[in-house]
Amino acid sequence: MRHDLVIHETDAARIDAVLERFLGDSGGAAVLLIDRSGEPLAMAGASRTLDTVSIAALAAGAFSSTAALARLLGESEFSVLFHEGAKESLHVSTVDDDAILLAIFDDRTTVGMVRLFAREASQALGAILVEARKRPRRTGVLAAPLTPEEVRSAIRHRPE
Amino acid sequence: MSIINYAAKVINFKIVYYGPGLAGKTANLQYVHRCLPDENRGNMISLATGDDRTLFFDFLPVSASTVRGFTTKFQLYTVPGQTRYNMTRKLVLRGVDGVVFVADSQWDRLKENVESLRNLGENLREYRLDLATLPYVIQYNKRDLPEVAPIDYLEYTLNRGARRVPAFEAVAVTGQGVFDTLNTLSRMVLLREFGQVQEGAS
Repeated sequence: MRHDLVIHETDAARIDAVLERFLGDSGGAAVLLIDRSGEPLAMAGASRTLDTVSIAALAAGAFSSTAALARLLGESEFSVLFHEGAKESLHVSTVDDDAILLAIFDDRTTVGMVRLFAREASQALGAILVEARKRPRRTGVLAAPLTPEEVRSAIRHRPE
Repeated sequence: MSIINYAAKVINFKIVYYGPGLAGKTANLQYVHRCLPDENRGNMISLATGDDRTLFFDFLPVSASTVRGFTTKFQLYTVPGQTRYNMTRKLVLRGVDGVVFVADSQWDRLKENVESLRNLGENLREYRLDLATLPYVIQYNKRDLPEVAPIDYLEYTLNRGARRVPAFEAVAVTGQGVFDTLNTLSRMVLLREFGQVQEGAS
């Protein structure tokens, strides 16, 4: 089962618009759209630098283990995961079978507001991702097959 | 599951290091983390128990050079090797693009290797993936220890699926074989996604 995802410039702009609107409506500080395999797809907000790659991997892990917990209890899924901190809190919710939405917020808003607008944003994002998942993967400069030489020269992980 | 972002000009892949407990999966990631220049790697995260056994996963993002203007990024994960953590192993495999099977070369660990490999096949099936088509390499780790099985024997036991896959001898704690393993699998993953289309490939 493969769910390869291709995000084109137009998709990225639409996703960004939904995320920005979510921040404006909910009063959240930052928001990340995350694939359930652990990869960050898009983000908005946050004045400081966040390690979005690590956040995405950990949030996807936490959400999938929560889903596994739900199944042990006979639920299909817990659709929301909420972590309350002293200053900032996290709200993670389902977008669709392959993506989740993580919102970071502080005391300038409430979990109720975040939850309300996360639901609305998730629907809009889900619709965009459905289209993105149907796109052919190899388009543009990636349409012609890579040669083994191109691959060899691109990938040379080596110690410093 | 590869994610291609034409806006950010990034291609993302997920690689999972699988294998029995204490085979050296985490040691592979730790060596890569220690030795790659900062600009080619992110932070390493280890979700481990108090005695440093992996509880959920280790995670290390690395990036390679650009190909046709796209940066290729690889998210490296390990799984907990201990038998009882199968639920979390399964979760970590979600969206995997390539697997390194880290085998423990010691004679007395052969059975654990075989069981872990079988378990990998079973867990991949849940995502409708299989080792016959998924980019996959084997690493025979701990070659520096005294009581290790010969490579021929390990190959005969562990590398006898529908296709013979690349295999590497390694001593992960010192780095021997670590980058050969990672580079070969990374190239296989990239070629599978964007190389010549194979007839009958999904």
